[in-house]
Amino acid sequence: MRTDAIAPDVSVAGSQPEPDRHLPPRAGRQQKPKTLKQVIFYGVLSVLAIPFVFPTWWMITSSFKPINEIFSFPPTLWPANPTLEGYAEAFAVQPFGLQYFNSLYIAVIVTVGTMFVSSLAGYAFARIRFRGQNLLFMVVLVGLLIPSEVTIVPLFQIFNQLGMVNTHWPLILVSTFGAPSVLATFIMRQFFISLPGELEEAARLDGLGRFAIWWKIAMPLAKSALAAVAIFTFLHVWNLYLEPTVYLLSPDLFTLPQALTRYVDAYGGQMWNVQLAAATMTALPVLIVFVVAQKQFVEGLAQSGLKG
Amino acid sequence: MRSAKPLTTIGVLAVSALLLSGCSGTAETPTATDVDLRMTVWTSNEDQLAMFDSIADEYMADHPEVASVTFDPLPFEDYTTTLTTQVAGGKAPDLAWILENAAPDFVASGALAPIQETLENTKGYEFDDLNEAATALWKADGELVAYPFSTSPFVMFANDDLLKAAGQPTAAELQAQGKWNWEGVSEVGAAVNAATGKAGFVIRDFDYTTWDNLASVWMGWGAAPWSEDGASCTFDSPEMADAFAFLHDAAFVKKSMPGPGTTADFFAGDAAFTVTQISRASLLPDAGFAFDLAPLPEGPEGSYSMVGQAGIGVMAQGENTQVAAEFLAFFSNPENSEKLAQYFPPARDSQLNVDTLAAANPVLTAEQIENVVVPGIATGVVRPGHTDSAEIGQKVRAALDAIWTPDADIPAVLSSVCKAVDPLLEK
Amino acid sequence: MTTTTSTRPDRAAARSGRVSPDPALRKRRPLSYRQRDQIAGYIFVAPQVLGILAFVLIPLGLIGYFSVHEWNVLAGSFTFVGAENFERLFTDPELVPVLQATGVFSVGLVVFNLVLALLLAVMLNRKARAMTFYRTLFFSPVVVSLVAWTIVWGFLLQDDGGINGILQLVGIEGPNWLREGPTAMASVIIVQVFKNVGLNMVLFLAALQGVPQEIQEAARVDGANARTLFTRITVPLISPTILLTFIITIVGSLQVFAQVAVLTQGGPGISTTVLVYYLYQQAFLFGRFGYGSVLAIVLFAIVLILTVVQWQLRKKWVFYEN
Repeated sequence: MRTDAIAPDVSVAGSQPEPDRHLPPRAGRQQKPKTLKQVIFYGVLSVLAIPFVFPTWWMITSSFKPINEIFSFPPTLWPANPTLEGYAEAFAVQPFGLQYFNSLYIAVIVTVGTMFVSSLAGYAFARIRFRGQNLLFMVVLVGLLIPSEVTIVPLFQIFNQLGMVNTHWPLILVSTFGAPSVLATFIMRQFFISLPGELEEAARLDGLGRFAIWWKIAMPLAKSALAAVAIFTFLHVWNLYLEPTVYLLSPDLFTLPQALTRYVDAYGGQMWNVQLAAATMTALPVLIVFVVAQKQFVEGLAQSGLKG
Repeated sequence: MRSAKPLTTIGVLAVSALLLSGCSGTAETPTATDVDLRMTVWTSNEDQLAMFDSIADEYMADHPEVASVTFDPLPFEDYTTTLTTQVAGGKAPDLAWILENAAPDFVASGALAPIQETLENTKGYEFDDLNEAATALWKADGELVAYPFSTSPFVMFANDDLLKAAGQPTAAELQAQGKWNWEGVSEVGAAVNAATGKAGFVIRDFDYTTWDNLASVWMGWGAAPWSEDGASCTFDSPEMADAFAFLHDAAFVKKSMPGPGTTADFFAGDAAFTVTQISRASLLPDAGFAFDLAPLPEGPEGSYSMVGQAGIGVMAQGENTQVAAEFLAFFSNPENSEKLAQYFPPARDSQLNVDTLAAANPVLTAEQIENVVVPGIATGVVRPGHTDSAEIGQKVRAALDAIWTPDADIPAVLSSVCKAVDPLLEK
Repeated sequence: MTTTTSTRPDRAAARSGRVSPDPALRKRRPLSYRQRDQIAGYIFVAPQVLGILAFVLIPLGLIGYFSVHEWNVLAGSFTFVGAENFERLFTDPELVPVLQATGVFSVGLVVFNLVLALLLAVMLNRKARAMTFYRTLFFSPVVVSLVAWTIVWGFLLQDDGGINGILQLVGIEGPNWLREGPTAMASVIIVQVFKNVGLNMVLFLAALQGVPQEIQEAARVDGANARTLFTRITVPLISPTILLTFIITIVGSLQVFAQVAVLTQGGPGISTTVLVYYLYQQAFLFGRFGYGSVLAIVLFAIVLILTVVQWQLRKKWVFYEN
């Protein structure tokens, strides 16, 4: 939509000095438009960044506001009377600490599990020739094409019969082995395909079996792809909403996204300040990890097999 | 793919076999021992849970067959869905609180075990003391299947400080002047909004989605969502149209009611009036402003009152229905009912008096209880419920959304509501 | 497992073959390798393949079974109802609006997301220290919890919320975003785009950085201006990435649930009730598991059609593939 807003920036750059400038020195003349363009360019970027940054900013600052200030109009950018009430309430209304732990441990288990499942399968599909390989790969790819929402009803009934409703098992099992892990397998396969065959050949000649080759040769080389898989998987599981909503019934077992939407008083009234405090506690740690490690984060993702 | 087929068949067989066995029901063992009872509730208030626990402890002391009683708080927001899912998963609780809007579904489906016989045969229970009107909702084929433990009238709270600040009469003054009707409240509310920017009146928890809370208004116009037998929709009646015209006018013209997408919390001091259940009075000591309590304002059809109800039922799919029914008989006996009255207005005629209720609601004055609470419970009507309440609720909500725009065609929207729900009501 | 040794008498020879660098020697015993590789291959893919069987294919088969049954949870009955649920599908007055909402959401999301992602990537594709900073800003919502992000936007989009507050400062009376059909849909789309556009942006950035400098230089020397350079050279060269992000985004768009559940609950009316939300409502809120299964079949059919279309697109549109 706004591609032409930048196109002139590139094409016009340096070609047309502004005619009605009275500044005599040549150097100034050449630099002025450039700096002006720079200012405009960064101005546009900064304006574009507002909807990406403001909500997070507002969430964090408002979590320290008393409830009537949250709804002050127009919104304030900084809490006038900072309070920690929302934070205290967040733990009082729900077992928030436990819910935090639930989300964290499920995400970690699924992330580690997916790294194993997907690197094994991805490696085999990329580097090993076995009968039925293509058929099995197609079977796996089906998982990429079918949103897990399609199968939620029968899955619920299966887990129900297995007595696993209101446990974390459905979340862990389906995320690690089912449809959500297929993207990871795909990424790993794309990565392993690009590995030079000589390395394996040499290892094989040294007497290493497939498992050892995978673990000792292929995996150490796959760090960037594994990082991408880990990030994707962690974020995916951390954000799961439909599945916990369907499978989990008691607040002690809830995960964070589910808990966030349940900050209501005994009559269904929303507790806004508490909700914001809980939302901040949910979002901030991951955000901090991201900012600290953003280089690895972003570049890991970009360099993963997703490049196609 | 070839290998998937037999597995699918096995899966189907396994699942269907399990489902069939799940349906066969559980045989009753009359001499149960070591019974663990579980009751799902939607309160997570620690004082309330502590009171339940103390009642349970007392019971267990005399009844060694009961090893434990657990009160399991489920989130209010999707309480009924969660309870239903537990039942689906074969993990039905022994006893459950039932919301009034879910009552028809639970009563009609046979999900609740009959308890009347057990209650009647329990010594000192005084079954006949249960209020007729309060039990009406909870009967299947004339027999009680749940105990209406909370009968909470809807009342109007007023923020007298805010009214004074806006130069408006207080709730008491309005009543004295004979202006305690919806038009009067709306006018004062509009003036408050104009003077202070705060909200006039708020129908608590309506939020332009939970439309059944509007029953506290349309009853004043003599309107109802469907006929008594529940078979035909009456949203398109002239009374309903008038009631919605009033609400629409309040939201979009007079601005006496906050419009859609605007939040105003009475208990945070953001509104002059709010309609809600009396139990919310517990929020008032923290509110930090002078408040008053009044009955619902009069509508064109005169004065009226509405109650919210909740029942405790014994789940038929639970494992120890008889033991659970006996516990319920203890939990709701006259003595414990009086204890529970502190939070849940009782459905026993002998306890519907100022003394009992004043002890239960320390925030309120004796006059407020005598003038507002007692008559509210005694004459209050339960808002109409229906089976398939979740789906009807959603259909009405979706159709009704069109009314909450400034230039809505009210009668047309209301008839579209009927068109949407008629197929469900006719069933 | 992978080190299973052969029981043949000529084991020693095989072993010597294994360590021998001479390929001619190895060729004599190809079977032993193949066999071991066969077994290793099956073992390696087993967790994933069995997982897909158990959690995708079998449930997929069961959908058919459940779609001809009705399960009344409260009454504890599970009964065969034949084609009733399918008949319902064709008489359901809400199905068409729901499919429309799903289509509008997906198209809106994909278009807005890809255009914005490409725009941001082009803007950030230059060598300056500040670019890392801006990239971090644009990417940050990706790591913010989805529900937290949506809840916050829900606040901001209220009639008296932050967005209208800001608009008022510049003298604009903002609409009641989540309460009017078109703006509610736009809100759900935009909230989702801002949440995830950073991901596509990063993928585009990587692709742009992979466009060889020489080609651009050559085109510039040939007199191409920035626009032709972009549309004729850059876009075709990054077309595999565009297609990939397109596929990821459109499949993702069909799965939108939390945003709808938190922001609009499918309203106003049913204007933002997308298929997955409708399925959830029918199955888990109204207890109509049979009809929910039928809706799952519809969702499956849509995905299947999209897959075929994408396959065709891939053949026609992508400029090159490595």
